[in-house]
Amino acid sequence: MKIPAALPILGILIASISCADIASPTRSNAYEWRRIEPAGPGTAETLSFHWPASRLPVKVWAEDTLNLPAKVQAGIDKWKAAFLYREYDAVTVADSNLADVVVRLAPPSKLTLDVVRMRALAPECEGATDFDLPSGSRELQVPVRVFVNPRFDPASPGVDQCLALTVTHEMGHTIGIFDHSPSSSDIMFFDPVVSDLSASDRATAELVYHTSPNVTVSAR
Amino acid sequence: MRTLLCTIASLALLVSPAQSQVAYYGRLGLTASTKLIRDAVVQEIDVQPGLAPTIVLGASVPFAPTYQAGLEASLTSSGFHSSELGVETDLGTLRTGSLLLNLEGPLAPRLSWRGGFGVIRYWPADQEGIFLRGGTSRFLAGAGMDYLAPLLASWDLMISLRYDFHRFTTDELSARGFSGSQGVQRLSLSAGLARARR
Repeated sequence: MKIPAALPILGILIASISCADIASPTRSNAYEWRRIEPAGPGTAETLSFHWPASRLPVKVWAEDTLNLPAKVQAGIDKWKAAFLYREYDAVTVADSNLADVVVRLAPPSKLTLDVVRMRALAPECEGATDFDLPSGSRELQVPVRVFVNPRFDPASPGVDQCLALTVTHEMGHTIGIFDHSPSSSDIMFFDPVVSDLSASDRATAELVYHTSPNVTVSAR
Repeated sequence: MRTLLCTIASLALLVSPAQSQVAYYGRLGLTASTKLIRDAVVQEIDVQPGLAPTIVLGASVPFAPTYQAGLEASLTSSGFHSSELGVETDLGTLRTGSLLLNLEGPLAPRLSWRGGFGVIRYWPADQEGIFLRGGTSRFLAGAGMDYLAPLLASWDLMISLRYDFHRFTTDELSARGFSGSQGVQRLSLSAGLARARR
């Protein structure tokens, strides 16, 4: 049995040269995530933001009521799982003074001029995320404030589930999705009805973190 | 995959160590790998393991006048990272284990060649990102050369160069709509001791 010595090596080299790369998905199912704000008569500006790698993990504080910390952690986990390359990370913290994001069980505070607000309006509860962006500035001031609020008695059917999915929705705004999805199958639909992220939500989150933002974040 | 593992195990047992001259060896070295993924979200993103410390254990038995059949296991552990526009992001620790059924033969005095097939398993330290649904096992083809020099009465110095090739993907990548798989080539250099057959 005589086997030419170079035959196995040659075979492997030929096989390797002829093989193609893995093909990426198109991510064409992503929706618009940037915020278009009026900037004067007939003009508008488009705001885009994501947390820079130097600010990760984002520190999140949640009010300890109605199981809110667990809902926030679940929301963080869902958004972290949307990413393939550790683009986003967040942890919960015990002291709200150290937080980049503060989550409270309360109605949204009175809106002022320097606040960019995103709202979610589910039947059983409401949510809002406020970003402080001083007029003319492109530097977002921390903490970002998230409000979730039950419309009925928290023990009423559907309210707890509504709070959970609304928290996940609002956490989506905090990562940088500044707009709503037009599809009810996405968690970022303005009136969210699904509890998990869709493929469109994940594709959008990936685009957010691979597009240069024009809004920065203030020092902690 | 299971069939291949069974075949490897069966062939390894075909020749009883007690009835033949089994050669054992162990080596330490380094393994370099090409990228595991080339993705494009907006810009191109590559994922690649770092240079990995490697431990290799193996055995071989003669089955023809000048040829041996061998089984070689190797373990590597290193960090892996993504890079986009020159910016690298640490993705954690990645371990691999591979098992190859080899055919070995002489090439020159003290120099031998080997080629074979087997499996490689990826074990990420963290179940996240491209490994969100766990590690992955892939078929592997490899080849290499060994240099043996007498060192002690019954031990040789063994210096080995290995090349192997497999196609990489994970369940998470498939679920995300990636199609096909990425050709991954690895090259390792290692040195150790082989129990001489003389």
